[in-house]
Amino acid sequence: MMKLLRYRLVMKRPWLAGLLMLLACVDPIDFEVPPAYEQIVVEGQITDAPGPYSVKLSKAISISEKPETPEPITNALVTLFDDKGSSEVLTSQGNGLYLTSGVMRGQVGNRYHIRIELDGKIFESEPDLLTPVGEVKEIRYEYEGRMKTSPQGEQQRDDRFNIFIDADAGPGEEKFVRWRFMGTYKVVTNPELHMTWLQGEFYFKTPLECSGYVVVPFIPGGKLEQRTECTCCTCWANHYETAPQLSDTQFVKDGKFNNVKVGEVPITTATFYNKYLVYVEQISMSRSAFEFFKLIRQQKEGALSLFQPPSAEIKGNIRAVNTATPVVGIFYASSISSKKIFINRDAVPYNLQPIDLATEECYHYYENASTEKPTLWED
Amino acid sequence: MEYFPLRLKKWSGLTLLLFLIGILPTEAQEILDYTFDGSEHGKPVNQVFRSIETQTQGKIYFLDAWLKDFPVMENQQGKTLSQVLDKLFADSDLSFISMYPSSLVIVKDPEGVIAYKEALQVVREDMKIEKFVLGDGPPRSNAPVTITGRVVDGKSGEGLPGATVELVNTQRNVTTDATGKFSLTIQPGAYVLQYRFPKYEDKAVDLIAWKSGEIVVSLELTYIQLQEVVIEDKAAVDLTTSRIGQTDLSMTALKRAPALLGEVDIIKQVQVLPGVTTVGEAASGFNVRGGSVDQNLILYDGIPVYNSSHIFGFLSSFNPEAIGDVSFMRGGIPARYGGRASSVLDIKSKEGSYKKWNGNAGIGMITSNIMVNGPLKKDKTSLLASVRSTYSNWLVRSVRTDYGDLQKSSVYFYDGTVNLFHNIDNDTKLSVTNYFSKDAFRLIGDSTFQWSNFQTSAKLNRSFANGTEGEFVFGVGNYGYRVINDNVRTASEHRYSITTTVLRAGFNKEKIAHLLNFGAEALHYRFQPGQLEPTSAESNVKSFAMQKQFSLELAVYGSDELKLTETLTMEAGLRIPLFLSFGPSTQYRYAPGPLTPEGVADTVRYNSGQIAKAYSGLEPRLSLRLALNQTSSLKLGFNRIFQYLHLVTNTTAVTPVDIWQPSNYYFKPQRADQLSFGYVKESKDKAVSASLEAFYKINTNVVDFKDGAQLTLNDHLETELLQGKGESYGIETFITKNSGRLTGSLNYTYSRAFREISGPSSSEQINQGKRYPSNFDQPHIANISWKYNLSRRYFFTGYFTYHTGRPVTIPQSAFAVENLYVAYFSGRNQYRIPDYHRLDVAFVVEGSHRKNKHVQGHWVFSLYNVYGRRNPYAVFFKTTTQGVPKPYQLSIVGTVLPSISYNVKFQ
Repeated sequence: MMKLLRYRLVMKRPWLAGLLMLLACVDPIDFEVPPAYEQIVVEGQITDAPGPYSVKLSKAISISEKPETPEPITNALVTLFDDKGSSEVLTSQGNGLYLTSGVMRGQVGNRYHIRIELDGKIFESEPDLLTPVGEVKEIRYEYEGRMKTSPQGEQQRDDRFNIFIDADAGPGEEKFVRWRFMGTYKVVTNPELHMTWLQGEFYFKTPLECSGYVVVPFIPGGKLEQRTECTCCTCWANHYETAPQLSDTQFVKDGKFNNVKVGEVPITTATFYNKYLVYVEQISMSRSAFEFFKLIRQQKEGALSLFQPPSAEIKGNIRAVNTATPVVGIFYASSISSKKIFINRDAVPYNLQPIDLATEECYHYYENASTEKPTLWED
Repeated sequence: MEYFPLRLKKWSGLTLLLFLIGILPTEAQEILDYTFDGSEHGKPVNQVFRSIETQTQGKIYFLDAWLKDFPVMENQQGKTLSQVLDKLFADSDLSFISMYPSSLVIVKDPEGVIAYKEALQVVREDMKIEKFVLGDGPPRSNAPVTITGRVVDGKSGEGLPGATVELVNTQRNVTTDATGKFSLTIQPGAYVLQYRFPKYEDKAVDLIAWKSGEIVVSLELTYIQLQEVVIEDKAAVDLTTSRIGQTDLSMTALKRAPALLGEVDIIKQVQVLPGVTTVGEAASGFNVRGGSVDQNLILYDGIPVYNSSHIFGFLSSFNPEAIGDVSFMRGGIPARYGGRASSVLDIKSKEGSYKKWNGNAGIGMITSNIMVNGPLKKDKTSLLASVRSTYSNWLVRSVRTDYGDLQKSSVYFYDGTVNLFHNIDNDTKLSVTNYFSKDAFRLIGDSTFQWSNFQTSAKLNRSFANGTEGEFVFGVGNYGYRVINDNVRTASEHRYSITTTVLRAGFNKEKIAHLLNFGAEALHYRFQPGQLEPTSAESNVKSFAMQKQFSLELAVYGSDELKLTETLTMEAGLRIPLFLSFGPSTQYRYAPGPLTPEGVADTVRYNSGQIAKAYSGLEPRLSLRLALNQTSSLKLGFNRIFQYLHLVTNTTAVTPVDIWQPSNYYFKPQRADQLSFGYVKESKDKAVSASLEAFYKINTNVVDFKDGAQLTLNDHLETELLQGKGESYGIETFITKNSGRLTGSLNYTYSRAFREISGPSSSEQINQGKRYPSNFDQPHIANISWKYNLSRRYFFTGYFTYHTGRPVTIPQSAFAVENLYVAYFSGRNQYRIPDYHRLDVAFVVEGSHRKNKHVQGHWVFSLYNVYGRRNPYAVFFKTTTQGVPKPYQLSIVGTVLPSISYNVKFQ
């Protein structure tokens, strides 16, 4: 049984409390569904930028509260084709990722598709046309003060920078454009200050090994001493978009997209410990890929809507050729233009508190964090 | 000398009685007490009668021929006429009746007289009796005479349809038609008629019919003055009308039933009828026999209503205090209705009193209402005005939830009616009715939703000299909504509206064994399908307007309800609709293959008034009733209906921003063909009745949306929608007990509803073109309602409902695309939400029962959802920590909900 979560609409007026204690409520609902792992998931893209291009194969996961990691498929044969007769077999990286060699390069006007062979089962994507894309002209940010109610009922700051762009719609007839927003910020933790408590009263200094510190024995209380470089103190964490941002016709003016909101940057002691990198890609795509992302957006945004439309089966463009094994996913061709800006800590119109003191590894304490410095980052 | 008014039209019994008591006794003595003085000796009987007439100033009705064989009179000095006649007629076939003190009727039909006298004994005990004499004296021939009659409400003068008129002498029954009329063909003679109509006092008519004529009888509401009742689900109506699948609704029963937050609602009552399903509490629409919400024709005073919801569906926009009567038809739909494929809900607003001013007011937990009505000119002109508004803002503002930020929300609505009725003369009546409603709410984000209905209509009813009843309607209705966004960057106003102009003429004509119904109607539609305007300088919303659409729906119809034999009645009709879509408009033509916005190959321009597309068809309608005996009958119905307006929605419930799309080049009319069969049985005393109906229905060109369709402000709407087939069938059973301390009803329905959308390519298919359950496929439905009278003032009412959970589309698995976890959904409607069941109870305290008390109130204390079941209304998704949508059920009322309402009636 799933842990029962209950959200109730609670009446606040005391004079009505007796009368209308609780009105609506929300409970999880379980259905008997076929096992998720039978379904194959395909994700891949070819662009007009130099390769290598990747295709990722995995198995679907079940819908549950417990986070699950998709199981990679490593033993497939993946081949990339264009409509001019070229093809190339991708190399499995052993983690579900398959890469091209860099020989084939995406070209505007060509159509591309992939073929996957897995234990005799064949899957194919529909050929996808690579269309040109316009330039991202400018990225702007704007401060917005917000409040939110914590689970304990306290009012807390929930401020943001809203990110807007101006862009050219590009030369194509169709304005099927997607903007991919990614935020990156630098964070630090102090794993050297890690401690182990005994019965809640006594503690021992137990610096994490990756901190490079050790406790020097025989000194009362223990003394910390650095022996090597810390490998888990500084991280770069990423924010990904919560739903694909897609071009809506009502935002096109004279072949330009103006003031398109592409993302939000939450203002916290961590995101602005140092500075924040905003990276926006403008991606052209065919109608079928656009429809795929539109269904994803609809699913993501539908959850917030009062009049939730019934979510649809996300179709994608991968078809099973000789098998009944369920498959879902997309392989699409795009041109990409991109732009980045940094938002500095002093753009926050008030003084931020120092970053949380955390004694875990930075990549455990912060979500989507890695100690590897991103290529786009400039110190 | 004219003693008896032969046509007592619109005279109440009381007036007649006063007239008789006040005038006649001063001129005449009791004729039967006439004492003979001996002067009659040796004279023929007819001469003696004439002389008695002269002496008493009374009247004796007889034919000389009947008396010519009697010997001349003997000396009867000192005896009364009564004694003498008893002896004189003892061995003859003559008898006598005294109707009024001064008159005596000699009758040549002793058995008939005995039956008449017995009948009079039956009714005399507790009933008001009205007397009618048709003709000046016994006819010479014995040819049958036809009595036409009308039963009307004593207060408003409106005809009472479905009233029972029993010929007590012979125990024959007739039922009044839609205008309260009936007709009887009988041998000349004396009869007792008994009139019955639920919630009205029974009345008897003491009738001597020597020739054909008309009698009008008014019935008064019962002594316990409840709210105006119009019609109930009653067995007598079921049994004797030929129509299958028709229900008339009682407003009084409704007002005393347990209701959500104490708010009674007409649509909620429709939702519990057999064959009707609903997607949940906050859904004002209803689904009839597998049809979608838009397939229900809701008429308010003859004008179609496009959105009947308040507060996004918690309530309907019709104030029960302003509703006169309501008929709901789901099978055997008469030819005069058309344009929607599944059902007709015909709501007529209430008429004001022609006698005196009165009104009522109610206070509930969400709304308050007041209604006043009365004569502007007594017996001639009446006015009724009502208004209802809400204070539900607190309800929304005071909830704390993480399902949207309701704190910033606001909700309000109001509705009202102003009705004027004027009797131009005895045969002509004019009604002018006005109805308006408005809603506004703001829930999540920066958008305020507003929608409104406004309609005005004039209706003229006229009885023509040849017995034809005519009804002429002219009206205009406007429905519109606005979505106002006040975020600086997206500040905009999105408008939508439909204006409908209705012109209609309908006629009823009654002939022997026939009831003809014929007419024509024209509906002109003007659609503004969407207009978006930026409302601030910083707004980056581009101004956009969809082109207006114009269409005209014309129809002629005729039907005849005829008695084929004593036991077999048929109502056969035909309706011929013609739908025209016309310019000005510019339309896209697409390249062959699936329609896509980029596939536009050509555009075609139509000038103003130029017909772009026309659709026509024949709609046969047939109802048959075979009376098996006095208490049971079989019914059969077939109807075909075309529907030219389609509600375009991709949510299961009706939302305020849905679009109505008229048929045009791309959207073919929907067609429904329905066959239904029924059996009705009632107990001898009519206390218990039961019915069973089975139906099979096929819909063509039902509209469904493509996956992920964008429906609002879409210039290429035809590329987002698909048309396909629908099929539904089921069995509906119903049993009701309507007398005694415990009354109630129980119904159970088994039905299925499927769709199949199988276009040539995969993007034009749903579920790969396979048949799938429709959104409202709920196989098992059971409803039980009851009322238990503790005393005349206190009673318990209750209601229990059960239905199978409706189909849903759910996430089966999840997968990652570019760090974003996405759910993979099942094919459409492949799973079901849990079953719905709920128990509600209410305790009702009626106010004083004294008829002449000026203020009468009633309290309703109710418990909604007694055992606090969390019935799923909607399945929605909350993202898990991994960002995957997990299905949750939203229960609108997840707990027991008590409420109190008080209604007061003043006069």
